[in-house]
Amino acid sequence: MENELSRVVDDLPGLVWTALPDGQMDFVNQRWCEYTGLSVEAARGSGWQTVIFHEDLPGLLDSWQAILASGHAGEMEARLRRFDGEHRWFLLRARPSRDASGELVGWCGINTEIQDRPRAYGEGSDRWWLSSRARENHFRFILDELPVLISLVRPTGEIECANSRYLDYFGLTLGEAKRRAGGHGAHPADRAGIQAAWRRSLATGEAYDLECRRRSADGVYRWFHSRGFPLRDARGDAIFWYFLQTDIDDLKRAGALLAGEKNLLEMVATGAPMKAVLNGLCEFIESTAGGCHCSIVLADRSGTHIEYGAAPSLPDSFINSILGLPVTIDAGPCAMAMCVNEQVASTDLTTEARWTASGWCSVALAHGLKACLSTPIPSTAGRVLGAFALYYDEPRVPAPLHQSLIGQLTNIASIAIERAQSDATLRRSEAFLAQGQQLSRTGTFAWRVAAAEIIWSDGVYHIFGFDTGVPVTLDLIASRVHPEDLPMFADMLQKAQSEATDFEYEHRLLMPDGSIRYLHMLGHATRDGSGRLEYIGAVQDVTDRRLSEDALSKARSELAHMARVTTLGALTASIAHEVNQPLSGIITNASTCLRMLAANPPNVDGARETARRTIRDGNRASEVITRLRALFSKKEPTAELVNLNEATREVIALSLHELRRSGVILRPEFDDGIPPVTGDRVQLQQVILNLLLNASDAMRIVNDRPRQLLIKTACDDDSVRLTVKDVGVGLRSQGVDRVFEAFYTTKSDGMGIGLSVSRSIIESHHGRLWAVPNDGPGATFSFSIPRDSKRTSRSSNPVSNSTDSVPSPQHVMRAS
Amino acid sequence: MMTKRSLVVVVDDDESVRESLPDLLGELGFAVHTFPSGEEFLASDFIAHASCLILDIAMPGMSGPDLQAEMTRRGHVVPIIFITAHEDGGIRRSVMERGAVDCLFKPFSESALLGALNTALRVA
Repeated sequence: MENELSRVVDDLPGLVWTALPDGQMDFVNQRWCEYTGLSVEAARGSGWQTVIFHEDLPGLLDSWQAILASGHAGEMEARLRRFDGEHRWFLLRARPSRDASGELVGWCGINTEIQDRPRAYGEGSDRWWLSSRARENHFRFILDELPVLISLVRPTGEIECANSRYLDYFGLTLGEAKRRAGGHGAHPADRAGIQAAWRRSLATGEAYDLECRRRSADGVYRWFHSRGFPLRDARGDAIFWYFLQTDIDDLKRAGALLAGEKNLLEMVATGAPMKAVLNGLCEFIESTAGGCHCSIVLADRSGTHIEYGAAPSLPDSFINSILGLPVTIDAGPCAMAMCVNEQVASTDLTTEARWTASGWCSVALAHGLKACLSTPIPSTAGRVLGAFALYYDEPRVPAPLHQSLIGQLTNIASIAIERAQSDATLRRSEAFLAQGQQLSRTGTFAWRVAAAEIIWSDGVYHIFGFDTGVPVTLDLIASRVHPEDLPMFADMLQKAQSEATDFEYEHRLLMPDGSIRYLHMLGHATRDGSGRLEYIGAVQDVTDRRLSEDALSKARSELAHMARVTTLGALTASIAHEVNQPLSGIITNASTCLRMLAANPPNVDGARETARRTIRDGNRASEVITRLRALFSKKEPTAELVNLNEATREVIALSLHELRRSGVILRPEFDDGIPPVTGDRVQLQQVILNLLLNASDAMRIVNDRPRQLLIKTACDDDSVRLTVKDVGVGLRSQGVDRVFEAFYTTKSDGMGIGLSVSRSIIESHHGRLWAVPNDGPGATFSFSIPRDSKRTSRSSNPVSNSTDSVPSPQHVMRAS
Repeated sequence: MMTKRSLVVVVDDDESVRESLPDLLGELGFAVHTFPSGEEFLASDFIAHASCLILDIAMPGMSGPDLQAEMTRRGHVVPIIFITAHEDGGIRRSVMERGAVDCLFKPFSESALLGALNTALRVA
């Protein structure tokens, strides 16, 4: 009996063992020894622990102690080392052994392998597995809670077992499920694919993998990712297939929605017409939601009436009945939604009473529409742009899916509509700008210096007389610049490329028809994101203004000339009157004198008297001239502290326009440290102006080089010096000394008194004015005025009218 | 040529004219009387006896043309020769239109003066 029992124990399908009440192992069966390679003796006591995988041992011992302490049956899991060193998972079950009195006498246990368990048994082991309540209980909870539909299917297609999620989804009991085939509830469109995949897996034994729709208990199809794996017996035959079905409906819908949104946003971004975007939006909703018609209506510009947006699947006769309706509560659902800025739903239009006044419902019903959902489309600022409408052929409550779709896509509609509106606004403002530029003959440009990239607005093309869109290069621009202004243009480019400073220039264009245009150009230096220099600027065609300025300037100078002539005329008349009186006396007396001398006898006394009067009248004429000179030399020069830099800057400011007109590139170099000088500010400024204009005149015929004019102040040991250097025609060898002579001139329109007067003014300031030819072209004129600490310290008081401290007026007048 | 010396009255504020012109006119055979102003001439007896008036145009107070107008107003028809140091065509035209025999610009030559006097006395 004992032998019999022992054989049975050894044959039991598991590793059997017994232990003393305190847990010390006292027996293991034959299978235990065969599996572990240990002898019974080696296993006794705590020896068995050596076959437990080291990682599993602490947990196992804890569980074993807990079972020992409880005195009840229990289960443990651990990997046991096989004789060949391989570890396999086992379920260790222990039960207490008690005698008749219930006293614990020991423990018995069986270890069953968890891995590839079916293989350990022959045909029909599926039944063992299924009936293995321990296994089932152990995993049931986990399987039921896993967020997947799990089913065990026979190769014949019958469902053998399923987790509760599976049953819940399909709304079946296990009994009901068992009467169905594995592919039940599949979407009709997916059935053929499911059959084919299932046949293929059966034939090849390869895993089943498919996406398909399954109908839920509430009749809605959802997408699942369905995977099936074979369970094989010892012979390798698939005895079951277990299926895992993951709900990917939300993912799939989100993906589709995302793709749709992306597509629509791309349309918006690439500037597709708003109508196309809105149409696409409606079609996307219709295809995603299914079973509905979608339309979009817009508020007109005043926001008071409804305009067409999109309605790809609705008949024109229906949509046309909506267009032009006022945005009011009673006009219809869309008008109402737009008016109150809230969603408006009507689940059954046959019983709807809100829009009876407008007769909207009857029109909708006539087109077979039974329910609707209207949603306002707000702008980012909250203004109502229009409304989305979903129409159903049957009375119904809008599905949550439809609601969420509308919610998500309203944004895109809003973006598309706002984009279209802002595009229209932008186009309008661009048109205004272009018109404004055209009217003001202005254009704008951008110049990326390093990339040599120049962008012109249409206005600049127009001004330069090039076809819009012609690639702009500096050479292209230079080809239009007036040849005389090219040096200045080159100078401007050079400066702008090297200095990154704002610039303002005026130059001329020589157009192909020979006409001349005057340009006023302003450039502002900026840096792009990577710090590269670029200019933005404006170009204005100031030809008309310049021509009228020229005309004005000519008129003014003619006027000035006339005034001078008139003054001279008045002067001449008064001089003539003053002189003619004595001359008249002289001639009359002389005539009388001759007559008296010719008389017979000659009246010598009378003649003497008249001759005496002639002399007297001659003296009188001379006095008149002296008196006149005195009259015109009355103005006295003033003496004040003069800062030559400031005085020069004022002169430059006054003459800049004239210099620019003459194409002169002025380079001031001021020494800020120069001390003030004492003198007549206006007279000194006349000298400076004279030197500047002389230099400018000297460069008038210079066209082969920039008309550069250097004006410089400097401080010498005991004087302050101002230098004006030009690159003009220069001084002829004999002219160096003669330029300062009165009435010496090389100019056709000059009087030749400027430099003569200038020299006398400077000399009256105890300074000196001189000219030297340059090494290169042109001449340099300089004057220096002594800095005198005594004079400077006294200069705050009026200087006494003595010849050594004040410019002599007589000196100035005589020199001029 | 002339049996009786014609009386020429000279009115000029310029003393040198009042000095020199009578001498020359005397040498030319005229009787002469001078006045420094038009007012003094009008107040004198010479107004009825003058054969010819030589008037300066620009004088302080009554000008030559004023005197011309006053003579016309009083009904005295006497040939008038104006003299002026202002070479002004406008004035000349104006006085000639109002009946002056001539308008001489100072300084004038002896022959110009004689020509004007001959014209004046022939008219008279």
